[in-house]
Order: sequence, then C-alpha cells, then structure tokens
Amino acid sequence: MYQTLLTSRYLTSRVIPLIAVGAVALCVALVIVIVSVMSGFLNMVQSSGRTLMGDVIITYGISGIPHYEQLIQHLEKDEKVLAASPVVDGWGLLRMPYPDSEAKQSETVQVWGIDPSSFAKVTSFDESFQWETPTDNQRDWLLFDAITANKELLRSNMNDEEWNSLVEIISNASRTMNYESGSLWSDVQAILDVPLWNTVLGSDERLTNSDALLEQGLTLSQNGRDGIVSGLHVSEGNVRQKDGTYQVIRNDFWWLPRYEGTLTMLPVDSQGGIIEPESTILPFVNEFQSGVFMIDESRVFVPIRVSQQLLHLDEAEIIDEDDPTVVLGIDPARATSIIIRGSEDISAESLQSRIVQMYDAFIAQLPSDTIVFPPMRNDPGLSIHTWEEQQRSFTGPIEKERELMRTLFSIVYLVVAALILSIFWSIVFEKTRDIGILRSIGASRGSIVWIFLQYSLVVGVIGSGLGLFFGWLITKNINAIHSGMGNPPLSVAIGAFVITGCIAIYTIMKSREGQLLPVVLGSLGLITSGGLGALILFIRHIGGLVVWDASVYYFAIIPNEVDWPSSIVTVLGAILFCLLGAIIPAAKAADTDPVKALRHE
Amino acid sequence: MSSSIILEGKNLKKTYELGRAKVQVLLNASLQVMQGEWVTILGSSGSGKSTILHLLGGLDRPDVDGGDVLFHGESVWTRSNKQINHYRNTQIGFVFQFYHLLPELTVLENTVLPAMIGSHSTSTSSAKDKATSLLEQFGLGHRLQHRPRELSGGERQRAAIARALVNEPSILLADEPTGNLDEETGNEILDVLAQLHQDGLTVVLVTHNVEIAAMGNRSVHLRHGAIEQPATLAQ
Repeated sequence: MYQTLLTSRYLTSRVIPLIAVGAVALCVALVIVIVSVMSGFLNMVQSSGRTLMGDVIITYGISGIPHYEQLIQHLEKDEKVLAASPVVDGWGLLRMPYPDSEAKQSETVQVWGIDPSSFAKVTSFDESFQWETPTDNQRDWLLFDAITANKELLRSNMNDEEWNSLVEIISNASRTMNYESGSLWSDVQAILDVPLWNTVLGSDERLTNSDALLEQGLTLSQNGRDGIVSGLHVSEGNVRQKDGTYQVIRNDFWWLPRYEGTLTMLPVDSQGGIIEPESTILPFVNEFQSGVFMIDESRVFVPIRVSQQLLHLDEAEIIDEDDPTVVLGIDPARATSIIIRGSEDISAESLQSRIVQMYDAFIAQLPSDTIVFPPMRNDPGLSIHTWEEQQRSFTGPIEKERELMRTLFSIVYLVVAALILSIFWSIVFEKTRDIGILRSIGASRGSIVWIFLQYSLVVGVIGSGLGLFFGWLITKNINAIHSGMGNPPLSVAIGAFVITGCIAIYTIMKSREGQLLPVVLGSLGLITSGGLGALILFIRHIGGLVVWDASVYYFAIIPNEVDWPSSIVTVLGAILFCLLGAIIPAAKAADTDPVKALRHE
Repeated sequence: MSSSIILEGKNLKKTYELGRAKVQVLLNASLQVMQGEWVTILGSSGSGKSTILHLLGGLDRPDVDGGDVLFHGESVWTRSNKQINHYRNTQIGFVFQFYHLLPELTVLENTVLPAMIGSHSTSTSSAKDKATSLLEQFGLGHRLQHRPRELSGGERQRAAIARALVNEPSILLADEPTGNLDEETGNEILDVLAQLHQDGLTVVLVTHNVEIAAMGNRSVHLRHGAIEQPATLAQ
C-alpha cells in the first residue's frame, strides 16, 4: 500500500516524528513508573498487613465470641482452612521504661492477646521479629542487668578486692556503654570464678542461648512469665536509619527486651460500662515489624489469657442473682476475633462465604441446653470480613492516593494528544503540496486521512513501546538509580566536566565562524553538562541525597514491580490519544483543496 | 486519428474567492478535444488556462450551474467522489510546470505511485516493471533510486511525465510543462510529448508560448474567461 510507503518515508526522513516518538515515550514511561511505584507501595502495605491478619476475620466487638475453641476446631475441619487462631484485642496503656526519671511515659497500644502457636500458623508472626539473636553490645547490656539483679548473691560470694573490681567495672560500664561498646563480658568473666560466672549467666537464658530471644518471642514468655512483644515503633528507642535499618538510641540502652512494661486495660461490663482498670507487669520479650507503620507504632502482642483476664473475658462462673451461693453454670472464655488462613487454592472471598456457612452450622449444632450462645449472624456486632475489608481503613487512603495520582497523570494523555496535534498540524502544513499531488493522481480523501492516522499510529505504537520499555527499565532499577542519585560517582562528574570542556571548545570555534545555531546548542550543552557535574559535586559535598527516605516511607526499598495492567492501559491510552491528536490535522489534510494544495509554497 | 470527441468542456464557469473579492476566472469556456488530438490552450498569465485544465482533469469543480465536463460523452462532475478519483487515476495524466514529485520517494516510487493508488487493477510488481520501462524509455534508467532533488529540471519533468503515463491514461494534461526549464531542456520535453502524441496519446497542453502552441494539431485562445476561437477540428 502506498500509504505505508509514504508513512515509512515521512517517519524516516524527518526529525519531527522522532521528537514526537521521544515525547510519547517519555510521557508513557513517566506514568508507568509513577503508577507502578504507587501500586507497589499499596501492594507492599496490603501484603504486609495480610501477614498479620490471615485471610478472613470473624469479629464480635467488646463482649467476644464464646466457645471460640470449639468454633476453631469446627472451622479447621474444613479442607480449605489451613489454620484459625483466636484473638482478644482491645486498647490499653503501656508504661514504658523511659525516660530515666520516675515519670515514665505511657503509650496507647492496641493489645492483641494471641495463642502464639496457632497465630503463627495463620500469620507470619514467627517471621516478623526484629531481634533474633542479641548483638555483642546487647548481650553486654543483658550481662549488666544480670549482675545488677544478682548483686546480693555476688557480694556474698566475693572477697572485697574482687567486689571492688566488679563495682568499678560496672560503674565504668554504666558511664561509657551509653555511648560506646566496651569489653564488659571479658572484664567480668576475668574476675568471677567459674561457678559464680555460670550463676550470673544462668539468671538470664539469653546470655547463654543465642536462640532464646527468638524462642521467647515465639512463646510470649520469659522464664515461665508471660511476656509482651511490641511493635517496633511503639518504643521511641528504636530509630530508623536512612538505609532502613534500626538503631536503638543510647547505644542499646533503651533496647526494649531489657525491660518490663506495665500494661493497663479497661474491661467493660455486659452493659458497656467501665469496670476498674486492670494492670499487669510483663517483660518485653521481643519486638516485631509488620511493615505497616500504623500497626508497628501501636500494636503489642500478649498471651491470650493475659488480655482475657485484663478485659474480664476469661472463663467465669454464672451466679444466681437471687442466691449468690448458687452457681448456675460456666460463662466460657471469649475471643473478640478469630483469624483464619485459607489454603492457597481459595480466594479470600470464597473462604469468607464458606466461613459464613460454617459459622451458621456451628451455632446450629450446639446443644440446646447451652447457657451462652455465640452471637447469631444477624447480630450487627458480628462481622465476618476478608483481610482486605478489615484493613480498608489502612489501605483505603493509599488506594485513593494512587487513583488521584493516576487521574492527575492522565493529564499526560492530553499532553500527548496536544503534542501530536501540534506536530501533525505542522506536518500537514508542510505536506500540503504532497496532498495536492496525491489528489491529482487519484488518491481519495479517505486514503489521505489514513496516511496521517497510520503515521500517528506508528508514532504512538513506537513511542508507547519505547515508553513501556523505559518504564520497565527504570522501575526495575529504581533502587539502583536512587542510590546512584544519592551517591553519584565522582567519575560521572569528571566525565561531565570533560564533555563540558569539549563543548566549550566547539562553541568557541563555531562562534568565530559567525554561526548562531551551533553556539546556541553549544551553550545549552555547556549549561547541561556543566550543571550536571556541579550538581554531582554538590550532592557529594552534602553527603548524598535521599529522595526515598526509608524512615518516612516505612519500607527500606522503593517498590520496583511494574504494574502491568496499568501499564497496558497507559500504552493503549497513549496510542488512542495519538490517534485523537492526529485526526484533526488528518481531516484538515483531506479537506485541503487539491488545486490550492498544488500552489502551496 | 479518430474523429470521436474524447473530452469536452461545456460552458465552464469558475469563480474564485480572494478574500472578500470574487474573481470570475472562467465565464463561459467550451472546448472539445478529439481522440488522439494535441490541443494547445494559449493564454496570458491569470487568464484561467490552468483552471480549465484542472476542471477538465477532475481536479477542480466548476461553479454551481457552471457547466460540465464530459468524458466520452458522460458527465464527470455528476459522478461520485470515488468515480472522480478513479477518473483522475486512470483516464488522466497530469504534468505540471513544477514537476510536483514527492521529495521523500525515489524516482521509481514516484512513477509507480498512481499504479499503487489504483492497485486493485494492477499488481505492484507489474506496475514497477511498467514504471521502470517508461523511465528507461525517457533516459532515466540510471536514476531509478535517486531522489527528485538529485535530478536536473529536465530529468524531473521526464519523471513526472512517466508518472503521468504509468496507468496508461486516455489524455495527458500538461500545464506549462516547459515553463520552469531552459529552452534546450524544454525542447527535449516537447520532443517527448510529440513522440507520445505520435504514438496516439491525446494531449491538452497549456502555455503562453505561441511557438509551443504551433506543435499541436490546433490551438485555442483563452481570453476574458472564454475560448475565443470556436473549438473546431484542425487539419
């Protein structure tokens, strides 16, 4: 077809279509990178949240679900249910070990009472611990604490000289370990005899067993005591670094597993009234990081029986109101939520439907003489939600932001259309005589339209294809690009200055010849390459530039997965808007009077 | 020479709008062209010579009630757009003063272009053979892959004539074909046209040059928007 021949010649013989292709590619790549990063961010938030929530959640507000253990057994009979775990959640106040003064700070926390073993089957709780083995410095602090705790024992088993040496070592350590790591371990070991050393070590399992820290987190217990695992951002002692790692302030002084916290919760009675607050002291056994800042800054895990006791949701006798000595029956322990993990081959929505049916069946099979029934499904307080529905309050705003960004960046389509319109307007103007020639040898108006539409289609397809490729390339390497931008190599600056020098020589030579265009282009090149070199030196001077600050964006890396559905839509949209941009000039071309066109200069 | 009328312009009127002013270029121009004839239309600049050629060739439309063009006795301007395009493509060969070759295409591609436009009747390869043969006939065999800008004026005009002939049209309409050439080159082009006419092609040529007009079977004058001499058969 002659249209294809003309289109290919028009494309390859001029610079304008190449500029159009480049502009379309730039626009498409821009949208793909932005939307992919936003979508990746949303996916990371969602998947991180899911790991702590399971697929489906049965919730019954404050008064909780009785017979939850039987319900869980009933649910786990289903082949599509991998595991289910009870949760007793409520808000509480957690008294923190800091500051140094007596007026300790309290944090408002969302307390999740859990059964650690089944909870780990439903969620990725076991993979979320921040501390797996203590560092040498942390171990020194644990030793410091163990000596302080056993000082009476040590004093009675040491002579004065040894004791004074120990006191001096500990005093020095208390002054210096806040700022720098020391040699407390070897210093203390040198002056204690073996039995005494073993006694000190034996007082804290974490001193001798490198797995103890993790094990205590997994069991929510320490030396037979119930423990607490808190979100990494609950403590103000954990400070996120620019590289995404964490450091505990004052050289691990405020490392939370060294301390205990006082957890206070407010139980409510069946009428919703508040009963006396309940408190308990629990050692911090570990900290966790889910990846969702809102969870990490407020959630703590305790054994389920602790939160049941604090909220008065544990098993209790039902007393006859008329005769308090008569026990009418047992009010079973309750769970406010049951979280359920489905098998891989079932969607959360399908699992939700099965759970609803199983819940109804469970209530139906309870003996008729049961004193306390779980809430019926028509009870407005009962909800059976998927994990997505449950955490919509977290992800909803991010989804809206993404849609907002997508909408805002859709303006790029209009830019593409305007760009193509203006470029094709000038091309049609330039090609007016060609149009007249083609008409004089029998070309129809429709075929003239098709020449320019085909032309724009090729520009759109090549531009979008290149944009897709560059979008993919940039997104995949966005972290490397980011770190390169943050710490640009000196060689790039040197290269930029060398290029600047070459351009300067060229520009001076051309200016002597009296040519203006090479001088203008040379000057622009000078500004660009010289500016780039200077910018690199400046960034290096200020110690690097961090655009994506992990301490702000919760994730240590920038999401680098291409959002393919959005990318395909972007590509198709760009092609469509290329056609829309070209259709007006194409129609104008077809309407051109051939005689006037032939006279066009 | 056949005596049948191949092309006829009847009472042609054409008005152009130049800004707010209306300029009547053709007032009542009639012309008959016989099969195999060479008719030269003589006229001064702005007399409407090119306009009448455009109307005859289906490139421009007469005014409403501004007469008609008949090809083999059938109206051209009452046909559909598709039929008029086909008429231009297959029955008419235009040759212009400024050659009007497409600068992005090679000489061969320019020549074969009308065949490609009407490719439903001719395969591309046979059209290329035909175009190559024509170009070789006009001494451009060594210029097939050259761009028009690489050719001299005479070569460009010969390429334009080859393009006009590739679909084997019934009539060649030449609009000042030597107007942009020096005398020697212009004569070469006229020799080519004379040879084509001798081979039986009907030629309508527009010029202001009386000497060129003498080469045809007959010449007519276009003055004040009308053909002054009655269109009569010459010789």
